[in-house]
Amino acid sequence: MTAPLPFQAPGATPPTIPSASVLRRLSPTLEIAWRQLSYHRTKLAVASAGVLVAVMLMLVQLGIREGALENSISIARRVQADLVVTSPRTRTIFQSAQFPRRLLYRLQGHSAVQHVQEMYMGQARWRNPWQHNEHPISVFGIDPRSPLIDFPGYSDRADELLLADRLIFDRNNRTSYGPVREQLAASGPFETEINHRRVQIIGAIPVGISIVSDGNLFLAPHNFQRLFPDRSPGAIDLGLVQLRPGENPELVRRELLSLLGRECRLLTRQELIDAETRFVQDSAPIDFIFGMGAVVGFFIGFVVVYQILYTEVINHLPQFATLKAMGFSDGTLLRIVYWQGFILSVLGYLPGYLMALWLYQIATRAIQMPFSMTWQRATLVFSLTLLMCLLSATIALQKVRRVDPADVF
Amino acid sequence: MSSDSPPHPAPSRSGSNPRDLREVALPAGNHASPGPEPAAPPTGRTATSLPAIVARNVAFAFGTGELRRQILFDLSFEVASGEIVLLTGPSGSGKTTLLTLIGGLRRVESGELTVLSRPLHHALPADLVASRREIGFIFQQHNLLEFLTAWQNVELMFQLHPEVSADQVRDRTLELLTLVGLAERLHHHPSQLSGGQRQRVAIARALVTSPRLILADEPTAALDSQTGRDVVELLQWLARTNGCPILMVTHDHRVLDVADRILHIEDGRLQA
Repeated sequence: MTAPLPFQAPGATPPTIPSASVLRRLSPTLEIAWRQLSYHRTKLAVASAGVLVAVMLMLVQLGIREGALENSISIARRVQADLVVTSPRTRTIFQSAQFPRRLLYRLQGHSAVQHVQEMYMGQARWRNPWQHNEHPISVFGIDPRSPLIDFPGYSDRADELLLADRLIFDRNNRTSYGPVREQLAASGPFETEINHRRVQIIGAIPVGISIVSDGNLFLAPHNFQRLFPDRSPGAIDLGLVQLRPGENPELVRRELLSLLGRECRLLTRQELIDAETRFVQDSAPIDFIFGMGAVVGFFIGFVVVYQILYTEVINHLPQFATLKAMGFSDGTLLRIVYWQGFILSVLGYLPGYLMALWLYQIATRAIQMPFSMTWQRATLVFSLTLLMCLLSATIALQKVRRVDPADVF
Repeated sequence: MSSDSPPHPAPSRSGSNPRDLREVALPAGNHASPGPEPAAPPTGRTATSLPAIVARNVAFAFGTGELRRQILFDLSFEVASGEIVLLTGPSGSGKTTLLTLIGGLRRVESGELTVLSRPLHHALPADLVASRREIGFIFQQHNLLEFLTAWQNVELMFQLHPEVSADQVRDRTLELLTLVGLAERLHHHPSQLSGGQRQRVAIARALVTSPRLILADEPTAALDSQTGRDVVELLQWLARTNGCPILMVTHDHRVLDVADRILHIEDGRLQA
């Protein structure tokens, strides 16, 4: 055999052979997709940044929406009574209508009822003693000895709160009420005016504010009467009903309703939470505003990813045609482009997620309401990101399908 | 140096996988075993094997109705295995169209065309894809994927043959790239290679999965005369040593001498 070897390299050094990468073991088309995307680092960075912005927008908008909603119903969530009595005219406990206390007391006669408790609520004017201006504040009057609501640390100060004109401040109130926490930490209880009455703030407990209330105050019912001299102690805002252990609230409610007549509504704890949620959704446009923000984020990401994938496909049309001509199926090319969509969603999601966590912290500080990530939201947004990328891949793929392999000649 | 240093001890494994290494015997292999058919005299048509291409009255037209334009008229010819056949003719004569028909890239409309014992005149799209996998294509432009290195471009072809083991893929890729003289350039991207080197990667890619037929469309068109000549000689050498038939469209008069036979097409008809 004397055939010439036209290109045989003289004295070749042993070449380095690449070993199969991790990506190939997952999927050979994933490896091609990654190599194509990563060949142009800048383009890849831009595309990922586009997805990142979309992910961040969706997470932040949905997070604020959910956070605003959650914070607004946090008082309702804190109720520990089995049943709650409200006026039929009440739409939210922050703007409640009153009903006669005697109706609540009737329930005590029923054998299933262990304990009833009245709760008063009102909007008062807080005088900021540092800036000498006034701010509205929500006031909650409930017996501090055994409250059927979870105000952490409230009943610990029961003895002091039973004294006249003593009340407790919400640690999470907005800063517009003045440096109350600092004052308490530095020199203990201090005096200010509420509804033009001199009162003493004895401490602060963490309960939480919302978009419907900038600040909360908690005090015993008789002190509530002192702040609201026009209000009759017989007209209450919320009746809390504790049942004996083992009683089914649903069953008992039907029997109790006959004692109340039409002047009251009787809700389970969950119904109260649902009613509050509905009120916030109906009265404040947070669903719309933040929902729209999330939708906008989705479309930004969609357009960016589509642009990137489309130009990638267009730029590689001759190569795709070549692959087709050499016997690669449409399915292979399809998988390559879909994998690219997948890669972009992952590359955009991870930093987007971290940035959203960071923005939650900023929002928590700025809006003074806690915002946090939930795994449900994280999963939802990842699914949306994936959907967005695969959808753009599907549209970009129309071009690949129409590639005529005969065009390569 | 060249022929007595086998790039790899591949032939010893050739028995284990009939698909792999069936056609392309290596320079080293020819020393070691004159045995299997590939070593048969290059131009000799082995009487037992069927022709690679059989065309009977093949015709083809683009468009329909008033716009219908007939490109190919009543073509009949054969290409035997091991033959190097050049297809020449002026532009627009239908050479490339004929190549796309044989390559299974277009459907034959009338006449009969059997390629590698597969009748393409009533093949389903899936059959055409299967047929293309047995053919090595070399294009006028190299059409390499620019984001893959020389190695990766060649190795890619084994995705069409998942039955080949990773070790064999590695050996085979190295063999072919060594054969075309690019052992030193394995990890260069096409943009880092010269025109001739790219075309040689494309040749390695076309041959790496041991195709049973090679279709080349003006493989020298984008190359200077010396590189073009080298590329054609490489193809010729491969055909001679492996018995793999080559059908090559070319305008290039400098390479006519490598052919066993020249088919000349003019106005869609074969000239004697």
